[in-house]
This record gives sequence, structure tokens and C-alpha cells, in this order.
Amino acid sequence: MYAWIFRHLPGSTFWRVVQSVVLVAAVVVALFLWVFPVIAPYLTVLEGDPAVG
Amino acid sequence: MVGGIGELFITLGVVLGLFVVWQLWWTSVEATAQADKVLTEFRATLPPANPELVEAAQLRTDDPPVPDKSPYGATIGTLIVPAWYGLTNNAMPIAEGTGMDVLDRAMAGHYEASQQVGEVGNFALAGHRRTHGNSFRHVDDLEKGDQVIVETATTWYVYEVTDHEIVTPDQVDVVAPVPHHPDEQPTERLLTLTTCHSLTLGELGNDHRWITYATFVGWMDRADGTPEQVR
Repeated sequence: MYAWIFRHLPGSTFWRVVQSVVLVAAVVVALFLWVFPVIAPYLTVLEGDPAVG
Repeated sequence: MVGGIGELFITLGVVLGLFVVWQLWWTSVEATAQADKVLTEFRATLPPANPELVEAAQLRTDDPPVPDKSPYGATIGTLIVPAWYGLTNNAMPIAEGTGMDVLDRAMAGHYEASQQVGEVGNFALAGHRRTHGNSFRHVDDLEKGDQVIVETATTWYVYEVTDHEIVTPDQVDVVAPVPHHPDEQPTERLLTLTTCHSLTLGELGNDHRWITYATFVGWMDRADGTPEQVR
């Protein structure tokens, strides 16, 4: 999957690496800001007791 | 080479790792920023406290003023635990209520059914142990005699730690006016801190609650000075 994405990025190898880093960073930001806050209440490994954390 | 299924599992593993980083680190970055904002807004509404430092022995011991009950979510004041200076974000806002919307902003939440600060009975506060600002993370460092200070718009209230205990989450009468004796009439002014604790995971778990009790030692008008342990 990742090799396929990398192959289909345009430009030289250098630019493909740069684009890959940007894509990974975008995914991490999306996880931190939107995905994790939504799923946190369902993953009660550390927290999540409605009484007090 | 790694097959498609393998890539999927590796991705899942990395995402789970990122989730731990998010929970243990990023939630605190966000929460601390929100708490700082609340604190700045709260302090902007107050005249600055008289910076002259006053020793605990010089505090007033007559009946302190008791603030009116605040609506849910409103900022009541500031919680300062001098023993936590340099360890966690000290001087955290105290807000009315113990919902996650309050606690997740790195504030101490006041149990709505408990008494007001300075009132005879129990001024009970909840806070996160880890994540979302690590508000009460170092509650286990508190020793008998350590000060717990509450600052309101007009008044400093100074309490001293007397004791702690570890209870199961269902023992809600630790925040009763007389802890563990919900039917008794209170005669003392107490402050109680409640936060998560685990017998096996310590600060990372939430199967138990760490309860710290403090008793009122005195008060002072903000115009008259600042308790010496406040920095």
C-alpha cells in the first residue's frame, strides 16, 4: 500500500520523500485533533471513568 | 517484503502508539493552555492581590467570608498547592462542577453538592491524575502539614493536609460534610482533594481514588497581603 502510494507520487525521489513526510504529518495532525478526541471515551485504558479521571 | 495485511497491522500498531502519545502528552498541552486562559481571564477581573507576604501564623482565624454558590462551569477561584511548584502547572482554576468538560481543561472541579470554600463542612475538589493537564498528579507527594491554598476574588483561604486514604470509586461519602459520616453535622472546615489512583498502575490507573484531606487554618483578605507560600 505505502509502496504503491510512493510510486504514484509525482516528481523526483527527493520530492516524493518531501510529499510523504507532509502526508504523514497531515495524518498525525488529523488523528491528534479530530480522531483521538472522538474515540478516547471508548478506549478507557487509562481514563474514561465518568465519575472522575 | 511486508504484505498488505502486514502493513495494516503495522499501521494499527503505530496508530495505537500515537494514541498513547496523544493521551499522555498532547491532552495536557491543550488542557494547560485552556486552564491558563481561564486563569488569565479570571485574574483580569480582579484587583491585584497585595504582594506583601504574610506568614501562616498571622492569618485570621475568625469566621471567613463564604462565597455564594456559582453556576455550573463558572470559575470560583484558584487552587495553589505549594508542594507542587515546579512539578505541575500550579495555580489551576477551580470551576463549579465535576463534569469532564471542566476536568479536561486542567481545572479542579468543585463537587456541586459539597460546601463552599471557607464554609463549615467539606469543600471537595476533583482533578485528573494523569492526562488533560495532570492536575493532581503529585497528590501522593503531599505530607501532613503541607498547605493547600484557595484564592477567590476577595480572599485567600489556607488549609493544611491532615491525612489521605485510598478508596474504591463507589465510596462517594468521602466528599460528605463529615467524610464517611454523611448523616453527621459538620463542625470543621475541611478541604478534600479526590483523584484517580490504581493499586497496580499507580498514577496511570483509575480503579481506585486517592483522597487527601486538609483542614482550615486561616484566611486573609487579598487586599491585606499574600500567603507566604504563594509564588
